[in-house]
Amino acid sequence: MSNRPRLIRHGALEDDLWRLHDTTLTTLPPDEAYWMVTLDCWKVNQDSMSQRIHSVAILVPAHADSKDFLPIGVSSINALAIAFIAIDFPNYTDGRGFSLAQILRTQLGWLGELRAVGDVLIDTIHYLARCGFDSFLVKEGHDPELALQSFETFTVHYQKSYLKPVKINS
Amino acid sequence: MYIYDEIDQQLVEQRVAQFKDQTARFLTGKLSEEEFRVLRLQNGLYIQRHAPMLRVAIPYGMLVSKQLRMLAYVARRWDKGYGHFSTRQNMQFNWPRLEDVPEILAKLATVQMHAIQTSGNCIRNTTTDHFAGLAPDEIINPLVWCEIIRQWSMLHPEFAFLPRKFKIAVSGALTDRAAVGVHDIGLQAVEVDGVLGFRVWVGGGLGRTPIVGKLIKPFVAWSDLLTYLQATLRVYNLHGRRDNKYKARIKILVKDLTPEVFGQQVDEQWQLIKDGPDKVSEEYVNEVSSRFVWPKYDTSLIENDDSIILQAAGNLKFERWLRTNVHDHKVTGYASVTVSLKATGVPPGDIKADQMEAIADISEKYGFGELRVSHEQNLILADVRRQSLYSLWLELDILKLATPNIGYITNIIACPGGDYCSLANAVSIPVAAAIQERFDDLDFVYEIGELDLNLSGCINSCGHHHVGHIGILGVDKAGEEWYQITIGGRQNGGVNIDTNQTQIRGGGAAIGRVIGPSFAREQIPDVIYRLIQTYLRLRDSDAERFIDVVERLGIGRFKEDVYSDPILLKAPLNTEVIDV
Repeated sequence: MSNRPRLIRHGALEDDLWRLHDTTLTTLPPDEAYWMVTLDCWKVNQDSMSQRIHSVAILVPAHADSKDFLPIGVSSINALAIAFIAIDFPNYTDGRGFSLAQILRTQLGWLGELRAVGDVLIDTIHYLARCGFDSFLVKEGHDPELALQSFETFTVHYQKSYLKPVKINS
Repeated sequence: MYIYDEIDQQLVEQRVAQFKDQTARFLTGKLSEEEFRVLRLQNGLYIQRHAPMLRVAIPYGMLVSKQLRMLAYVARRWDKGYGHFSTRQNMQFNWPRLEDVPEILAKLATVQMHAIQTSGNCIRNTTTDHFAGLAPDEIINPLVWCEIIRQWSMLHPEFAFLPRKFKIAVSGALTDRAAVGVHDIGLQAVEVDGVLGFRVWVGGGLGRTPIVGKLIKPFVAWSDLLTYLQATLRVYNLHGRRDNKYKARIKILVKDLTPEVFGQQVDEQWQLIKDGPDKVSEEYVNEVSSRFVWPKYDTSLIENDDSIILQAAGNLKFERWLRTNVHDHKVTGYASVTVSLKATGVPPGDIKADQMEAIADISEKYGFGELRVSHEQNLILADVRRQSLYSLWLELDILKLATPNIGYITNIIACPGGDYCSLANAVSIPVAAAIQERFDDLDFVYEIGELDLNLSGCINSCGHHHVGHIGILGVDKAGEEWYQITIGGRQNGGVNIDTNQTQIRGGGAAIGRVIGPSFAREQIPDVIYRLIQTYLRLRDSDAERFIDVVERLGIGRFKEDVYSDPILLKAPLNTEVIDV
């Protein structure tokens, strides 16, 4: 069960190869694929990390301030150096990540991959997709195949400024 | 009534299907209890003392006869033959089985009803004036705006998991009957320079920390309503406290930031989205409005109450009912009529399936089949021809639904209390009944005049005790039930919406003040009686209401009288003021 791929990406399931760089280390991760760093680490080392061959992913905690994404004087995120942004849901009932996603998508110009990680349920994926997430690491114990179907839970919506969920990342 | 279009209907049906799947996964162990808890709450399902409790939304209190018949059907088939109107324009069923809930919801969906967001930390059912669309003093028809807010808030992807529950109330009239001052967001219709819009109060609420809302924005034009709500909710969702559920309501955030800073943050966010896709267009308002079926009034009627006056002469019961339960209507020759669910001995807001069906029939016979549910837990017959009032009264009286006490002391607002609710510290229903029995002389009740008496079985304040002219709160002290009394609360200040007054804000709402140590259950009727005696002695005329006297003189005299009353001193007092 637990070895089944549970990352939803481009409308299909795949293995999650990404690992989080240990925040207690003073060194940065080696320039190789699949390294994820915390937002704090990224903020401090942005310049050097932007020079890497292998882009890092950034893990954003639920309590992050949207202003933390941008250095002063910069109005949109430097997308080239970032593989994807992951927003953590410490508990699925903590809805801050939904608003962070909206701000990243509609105000900070983040067009790259936006991943929901942490307490990601079959039952929250539909809302997550509407708020701009396009990849989802489904929590253990939730059937990833069922999660894939949740894009179609609702086929109609009221709120005009939010996306219609689509399985395929366009 | 608003008539669903295909999208409205599809959404409700898809939510039923989703919940059916969630229930099935829970029952087969694929969804943990903790995971299911919040998901079921978002669909109005609590696990209660005796059985699950299902809370069905009556969006903005508007109900039509076929919906009431469906509620009767649900009550009979899945409950014990009755339902309970809450103080937030919802109906609660206390006895359904969890396994049956998906089927109940599917049935409700056939008459455009649902339980979506009637609980949980999300945007709840938007409430309004129980005379919405009927009152003579309306600036706008709040039903249209409530429907617009219903659509916007239903299954909102960004605001499904807020720090805490979120309640919006809308008042479209000069007199605030929606209690906008004690909601997370209160919207009061205003017209400025020929443009309609809303005054926005934020951070009001009852519960543990009762606060009257602060005026965050004196005017938001109608076209900006949804984007302004979105900005407000976004600031709250990001910054509201999540570490302590007692400090998680928006009122705490507004207080911590100060209303000025909170307002600025909302404004900054709003500037970024105000001209986005959720800006309300005239076309959309017209579209929503056109989906309502508005009554086809007979406009040839004239105001002539001669026959009613004749019928009332010598018929004291009818005359009293006319005085208290019949209300002015915007259309000449019509009235709105309150069907009292406050007969002595019946739990406030409870209604039997037979009564629901009878009222559904009556609403068609005497009107256009339209009703409203009031936050005072009564039903309103929307459009009754004044000429038919006498025969209507005869029918209601037989059904025991004509108790002439609307606006008076025995029209008690009360939560279900400890008899049903697992949150309650104390019972409510027997206390309400005991007070009603104590004040069973109607002449005396009228002599006392207008008085709101509200009763909650615990600090969650579902019985709105904080805004009762007299409020009663059940508290727990070492496993015993005690009752704390407040006076001076009010849900509005009539047309007085002067924001310069510190006491009267948010449409004039005020929070009652505790008079002192709490009392045992059996003392309560005597305490209330004592308060009334003091009031009658101190009022300067019949026109000065209980609440006016409290406002004029403060609580001191009342306090002295109650705590020096020899009858009350005979029984032991709980000497501490219990900190809730």
